Amino acid sequence: MRSSLHCDWARRLLHHGLLRSASLMVPGEQRAEWWREWRGELWHVRQACATAGRDAWRGEREVTAFCLGAFQDALCLRCAGLPARPRLAAITGRPAQCILILGALLAASYAIALLLPGVRAERSLWPRKVIPNLVLIQQEGSTDDSQPTIAPRLFRSWEGRKQRYFDGFAFYRVTREPVEMEPNSIGTAGKSAWGVARASSNLFMLLGLPLEFTDSSVVAADRPAVILSEKVWKRDFAADEHIAGVEVRLGQKMVRIAGVAPDGTLGLPGSVDAWQLSPDADAGSGGAGYVVAHLTPAGKAEMWTQCVHITANGPGDSEEDFLGVSLEEWKPETMTLYLFSLMLALLALPAITSVSLGEYSVNPRPTSWPRRLYRWSFLSAKIALLLPIIYFISIDLAYACSAFSRERAVYIQLVSTFVLFLFGLRWVLKDQRQRCPVCMHRVTHPAQVGQASRTFLDWNGTEMMCMGGHTLLHVPSLPTSWFGSQRWLYLNTSWNFLFAGSTRPIP
Amino acid sequence: MARDAKTPDTKLSHTAAMILQALDGGFIYGFSIMEMTGLPSGTVYPAMRRLERDELIRSQWEKQSIADAEQRPPRKYYKLTAQGKATLEASRRRYPLLERLIPSEEARSV
Repeated sequence: MRSSLHCDWARRLLHHGLLRSASLMVPGEQRAEWWREWRGELWHVRQACATAGRDAWRGEREVTAFCLGAFQDALCLRCAGLPARPRLAAITGRPAQCILILGALLAASYAIALLLPGVRAERSLWPRKVIPNLVLIQQEGSTDDSQPTIAPRLFRSWEGRKQRYFDGFAFYRVTREPVEMEPNSIGTAGKSAWGVARASSNLFMLLGLPLEFTDSSVVAADRPAVILSEKVWKRDFAADEHIAGVEVRLGQKMVRIAGVAPDGTLGLPGSVDAWQLSPDADAGSGGAGYVVAHLTPAGKAEMWTQCVHITANGPGDSEEDFLGVSLEEWKPETMTLYLFSLMLALLALPAITSVSLGEYSVNPRPTSWPRRLYRWSFLSAKIALLLPIIYFISIDLAYACSAFSRERAVYIQLVSTFVLFLFGLRWVLKDQRQRCPVCMHRVTHPAQVGQASRTFLDWNGTEMMCMGGHTLLHVPSLPTSWFGSQRWLYLNTSWNFLFAGSTRPIP
Repeated sequence: MARDAKTPDTKLSHTAAMILQALDGGFIYGFSIMEMTGLPSGTVYPAMRRLERDELIRSQWEKQSIADAEQRPPRKYYKLTAQGKATLEASRRRYPLLERLIPSEEARSV
């Protein structure tokens, strides 16, 4: 008893709160009277809907629905006091306006793609191809792939012998070194630590990896050259394209940046922030490292799935077992992701909207061929503009922040492309369904007729009218066996008196 | 500046025509119009604001003494203007079923 009393008070408070919130939208001079009217009506609605027992919730729902209607009324009064503003539906009402807006959106998204440094960098790094038949050699039985296992002396002994299965070796070893950037450089001034890979000078040639933003003049200069990873270039240097020649203190030495190596395409272990290429003798001294090797056709034939087992002689002719793991891995390109998302969206589209364009058949006078062609051309133009818009917007979103890693950008592009396609295509279909088949203007003035629970007409749903006076669109709220999809009613000349002020071309 | 009163040939949506017909049928409060037409409050009240703006209907508050006697808040009721009656007459020619769905007060009293 007590709890039901509390519930009743809570509901009254909710309804009161809804009306009070709506009243804030009403212009000040009308607010007091508006509030008085709605409060009075609410009292009567409560009396009419008050039912006890199991149906009580239904009555409360109706009272709440009544209160929610107050927002539309308040908005109506507010809009009446403001100068008329063009609505989106009105702006895109004419076919030419709709196409112009889509065209402007395309131009804007393309311009943003040209301006964003992240997108520019991605475009310049797009042609990434890893040379096939590359393997990373590690000790067999090593439980952790990220740990270096190959001793430099072993690498030197392999390199010095003629090999049957390999025609190229490269070695690198990663050490953690402090780095200090000059305050006047373009990078973020301050101290940090980088994972620096000291690699044999043929590493990038073996990998076939293109270096970006290189400057040959700085490589030949007096200081040692380092190549930044894409991650560090974006994080510490804001993806600056004029990075070549910038000097940083790495460990005890001043070094000069010679270029940028793309991330994520190789899957090389070691968490490398910068590469320093040095003669093989230097690379070969010190602790264990990683060996990258290129397989000959005979070596390729020995590959089993993505691995090859190797037995090799060490410096003392002792036999040791190794495992070569392929470096080739699938990395999606932006266009591949785009097409994949499009396919997913096309599959998911019927779940969120009807893919039918509505019923055009109930027309006493069949529509002429030029009109039909116009209708289909308009639909095609909208789709044709939507495709590049979504492509550029998804690229803009994925690469808007230059600090994003390539993997994260791939996820952002995938999700954003899918969502944009799903709702973009839904809009295209919905917009097309609400275009008058005669003049292609959008139908307006929606009127809700009937309620499913109180049907006194044959049907309930929404009716919209072409302001050119050509058609009336019926959209059922609940599809039935006799009224499944929307229908167009073609208005004849007897309706002319309703459209006294409009020009009504003959279809 | 007052708006020009609408002529009987004014464009009138069927929602507006139904509301005028309900008012003519003696359903003079917003909620009673909702009950009669089945239209939601978010449609009826804004439509009545527009009809009042176009001088097809006018509103008036009932006397406080009547509301006090019945122990309830006072209500605002609506009535058709002469212009509204003429417009409704024109709409009935367009929507013959309107009168059958919501009979006018005179028709019901016969």
